Amino acid sequence: MQESTSSFCNLGVLDALTDDSIQEILESYNGFCVTTQTLLGGAGDLSAGTEFVAHVHSLCKHGLESLVRDHFLRVLEEAFERNGASKFWRHFDAYSNFADLKRNDDVDINEDEIQQVLCNALEEISLEKQYQEKCLLILVHALQSYKDQMSGERHNFQAERDYLVSKYQLLVSSVLMATLPRHFPVILHWYFKTRLEELSTIMGEDFDDDASLNKDDMDLDEKGKVFNKVGEMDVDEYYSHSRFSENSRLVKNIGKVVLDLRSLGFTSMAEDAYASAIFLLLKAKVHNLAGDDFRSSVLQSIKSWIQAVPLQFLHALLVYLGNSVSYESTSSGLKSPLAPQSSVCCPGIDTPSEGLIRWKLRLEYFAYETLQDLRIAKLFEIIVDYPESSPAIKDLKLCLEYTGQHSKLVESFISALRYRLLTAGASTNDILHQYVSTIKALRTIDPAGVFLEAVGEPIRDYLRGRKDTIKCIVTMLTDGTSGSSSASGNPGDSLLEELNRDEEIRENDGVDDDFNTDDRQAWINASCWQPDPVEADSLKGSRNRRKVDILGMIVGIIGSKDQLVNEYRTMLAEKLLNKSDYDIDAEIRTVELLKIHFGESSLQKCEIMLNDLIDSKRTNSNIKATIKPPSQTSADTGDNAISMDLISATILSSNFWPPIQDEPLNLPGPVDQLLCDYAKRFSEIKTPRKLQWKKSLGTVKLELQFEDRAMQFTVAPVHASIIMQFQDQMSWTSKDLAAAIGVPVDVLNRRINFWISKGIIAESHGADSDHVYTLMENMVDPGKNGGSNGSPQELLGGDEEEERSVASVEDQLRKEMTVYEKFILGMLTNFGSMALDRIHNTLKMFCISDPAYDKSLQQLQSFLSGLVSEEKLEHRDGMYFLKK
Amino acid sequence: MITSGILYLSNWFSLANGINYKCLVIGSSLNLAIRWHAVASWTWDAHDETCGICRMAFDGCCPDCKLPGDDCPLIWGVCNHAFHLHCILKWVNSQTSQAHCPMCRREWQFKGSE
Repeated sequence: MQESTSSFCNLGVLDALTDDSIQEILESYNGFCVTTQTLLGGAGDLSAGTEFVAHVHSLCKHGLESLVRDHFLRVLEEAFERNGASKFWRHFDAYSNFADLKRNDDVDINEDEIQQVLCNALEEISLEKQYQEKCLLILVHALQSYKDQMSGERHNFQAERDYLVSKYQLLVSSVLMATLPRHFPVILHWYFKTRLEELSTIMGEDFDDDASLNKDDMDLDEKGKVFNKVGEMDVDEYYSHSRFSENSRLVKNIGKVVLDLRSLGFTSMAEDAYASAIFLLLKAKVHNLAGDDFRSSVLQSIKSWIQAVPLQFLHALLVYLGNSVSYESTSSGLKSPLAPQSSVCCPGIDTPSEGLIRWKLRLEYFAYETLQDLRIAKLFEIIVDYPESSPAIKDLKLCLEYTGQHSKLVESFISALRYRLLTAGASTNDILHQYVSTIKALRTIDPAGVFLEAVGEPIRDYLRGRKDTIKCIVTMLTDGTSGSSSASGNPGDSLLEELNRDEEIRENDGVDDDFNTDDRQAWINASCWQPDPVEADSLKGSRNRRKVDILGMIVGIIGSKDQLVNEYRTMLAEKLLNKSDYDIDAEIRTVELLKIHFGESSLQKCEIMLNDLIDSKRTNSNIKATIKPPSQTSADTGDNAISMDLISATILSSNFWPPIQDEPLNLPGPVDQLLCDYAKRFSEIKTPRKLQWKKSLGTVKLELQFEDRAMQFTVAPVHASIIMQFQDQMSWTSKDLAAAIGVPVDVLNRRINFWISKGIIAESHGADSDHVYTLMENMVDPGKNGGSNGSPQELLGGDEEEERSVASVEDQLRKEMTVYEKFILGMLTNFGSMALDRIHNTLKMFCISDPAYDKSLQQLQSFLSGLVSEEKLEHRDGMYFLKK
Repeated sequence: MITSGILYLSNWFSLANGINYKCLVIGSSLNLAIRWHAVASWTWDAHDETCGICRMAFDGCCPDCKLPGDDCPLIWGVCNHAFHLHCILKWVNSQTSQAHCPMCRREWQFKGSE
C-alpha cells in the first residue's frame, strides 16, 4: 500500500477501502479544504498550519497526495488572482488612458506619483507572493514530513520543492499575463525612462567634469531633494553618502523594480522597457552631441558617454541582479568581430561579464547607426562646407565601417542632390564646387571610389546638359580666384590648387607612372589592397579605372580633354591678346601644369602662343633699338625715338591661334604711320617675313588731359581712334566719324557709348536723323566723375560683353561644321529622315578626307539644333527632316 | 609705365606729321597721352600657302618642328620655289646624285648661296 502512494493511481487501492477509511478520508479532506481556505484566505494568519499538516498527512496516508497538491495549487491560483493580480492592476487603473495620451504627447502626469504607485504596487504584490510562498512551503514541509515518517529516510526534498515552486511561478506569471492591461508596458517604459534620465544627469555631470569631484553642496542638495521624493531614503543618510553611492542607490531602486518584475514573470517585458529607455536616452544624447555642428568629431565623446553612463548603469544593474541571468543561453562568440576593443571595458569594472559586453556592442552599434543616419541626412550641408566639416566626414566613415549601410548614403545623397543642387537655379560654378567637394569628401569615406561613381553620375549627367560647363571648368582651372567670386566657393577648392597638388604627387612618386618597376612599391600597393565593397557594380569597369582623380572626373564631365583644351586655348588667346606688358608668368605656369596632366601634344598650340609672346617681347625691343628714323618726318630724331617707344606689339603665329575676329579700322594717321615703320623694320630684321596688323586688336592706354583734370583709361583701339578724332574737331556727325574711322555707323554708335558713359562726349540729334557727337570741354557732372580723377580705369571693352577678339568655341565649331552642312542636307534629301546616330555614323563613314569628320556626337547635335533654329531642318521624335 | 612715357599728343603729332596737327590744341582743351599696344600676325612672304614637300602651311612648321617662325625657316631655291628648310634638306640629303627641285625638277640650288 505504501508503494501505491506514489503519484499514479492503482485501482487495487479502491478494493482495499473500508467504510472507516472512506469516512476518514472525507473528514480529513473537508478539514484540508477549510484549512487551505483559511491559510490562503488572505487574513495572513498561519495558525491553522498544524491542523493543515495533520490533514495533509492523513490524506497522504490514503494515497491522495496528488489530490492535495492539485487542490492546493488551484486554491492558490484563485487566491492570487483575487488578492494579488486584481489588486495589483487596480493600482494602475488611473493610468488606463496613459497609452493613448502618450501618443498625443500631452501627458501631464505626476512623475513622483506614478513612481510611487509602481513601487507600492510591486511591494504589495511581492508581499502577497511571499506569503503565498510561505504557505506553499508549509505544504511542502507537510508532504515531506509525511514521507520521512513513512520511509524513515530523507527523500529528495529539494526536487519536490522545486517542482512546486516552479509550478507556482508559472501560475503567477500566467495569471498576470492573462490579465495584463494594455497600458502597463507603457507605464514601465515611462518609468525606466524617467529614472534613467535622472541617473544620466547625475552621471553625466560626473562625466562632464571628472576633475571637479567635490561639487558644491547646493547642487547636491538640489538633487537630494529630488531624490527623496522618489526613493524612500533617509535624508541624513543621503547626505553622508558619496555621489557614487547615490548612483548605486538609484540603481538599486531600479534593480529592485526589475527584480520584482522578474519574479512576477515579467522578465522580458522589464528588459524591453529598460533597453528601450536606454536606447532612447542614447539617441537623444547622440542628437544632442552631434547636432548641426560639423566642425568637430563627436564619435569619441559619444563612446565615452556610453562608457560613463549607460554601461555603468547596466553594470550596476547586472551586478545587483546577479549575473546568473539569461545571457549564458546565447553561446555565440564572446568577441564579436565588430568589437574594436572588446577586452577593454569600463574603467572600474574589473571583469566585464559577457552580458555587459553584449550590451556594449549593442549600444555602440546603435550609437553608430544613429549618428550615421543623422549625418547622412545632413550630408549635403556637410559637403557644402567641406574642408571645415571633415571631422563629421571622418565620423561618418567610422560609422559606415561599422554598419555597412553605404547604400543608404548613396540613395539619400543622390536624392538630396537632385532636390537641392541639380536645379535650374543653381549656378554652374556652385554645382562644380559642390562636385569637387563631394569628390574630396567621399574619397575620405570610400577610397575605392565606388560610391563616388554612383553619386557623381547624376551630377555629371546634369552638367553635361549645361552650356557653360566647359567655360566654368576652364575658369576654375586657370585662375584660382575667379572661382571664389561666387558666394559658396572658397579658394581652397580651386582646380588650380588641384593641378598643383597633382604635380607634387607626381614629383613624390618619381617615375612609376604606368607600371611599377619598383618591387617595394608593388608590395606596398598589394598590401593595402582592399576588396571592392559588395555594393560595387561589377559592370562599371575595373578598379584601376576607378582611381579617384578629381581632374580626371571633372574632365569626365566634358567627355574629352580635347574640348577642354580647346576652350582653354580660346580663353588663353583672349587673355594674351589683352596683355600689353608681355607678362605671362602665370600663364606659363598654368600651361606647364596642364601639360603634365593632359600631355604635351594637346597643349602644343598653347605653348606656341606663349612662345609668340616671348618672341614678341624680344622682337619688340630689337625693333625699337634698331629702327632708323623715318625719312619723311622731321629731323629731330631724339623725339621721334620717344614716339616709337609708345608703340609695342604682340606678334602672332596666326596658324596656331584660334580664329581671330579682325574688324577693319582706320587708325589715326600718326599711329598708322608708326605701325608701318614698325612693320617695315620687322621685315628687315626677319626677312622674308612680314607683318599683318590686326588693327582692331590690342590695348591702348590713354590719358586725357583737360584744363582741370586728367583721366586715365585702358581701352580698345577703336575707342582710342574715336577719341583721337576729337582732337581735330570738337564735334562730328556720326556718319562722318564712321567714315573717318572706317567702321559702319551702327558699330560706331555702339562703341562711342563708352565715351558717352564717361561723360567725355555728348550725344545730340542733328539733321537727317544723324547723331552729333560733341566733346565735353567742362565736366558736366563732376560729382559723378570726381572719383575717377587720375585713377586708372581698367575698362577694356567695358560695356560690350559680346565684343571678343577671339571667336568663341561655339563659333569655331559652327564654322568647321558648315562644311558638312551640304552633306547633311544631301543625306536628308535622299533618305527623308534620319536619327542623330545615323547621321553621325554616315558622316564618319563618308567624310574621311578633306576635311575628315572628327566631331563628337554632342557637337553634331548642337550643330543640328542650330540648323533647326535656322529653320533649315526639323526635329521630331528623335528624327531630323528637311524643312519643307 | 604711362607716366614715364607721357608725351603730350599735341607735341607728338606735330613732330610726327609736321604742321597738319598743330591746330589740335587750338580748338579744344583736350590733350592726350597714349601708349599703344598693337597686335599683328606674321607671315612668310612666299606667294604660296603650303610647303610642297610636307604639305604643311608655311606659316606653320614642318612635321619635325614644334615652333614655327625662326625655328623652322623657309628657304628658296634658284627656281624661286620655297620649302621648309628642314624638308628640303631632308630631300637633298636623300638624293644620291644632284638633287632637283621637287616642284619643277630643275637642279636644286639654294637661292642667294650661289
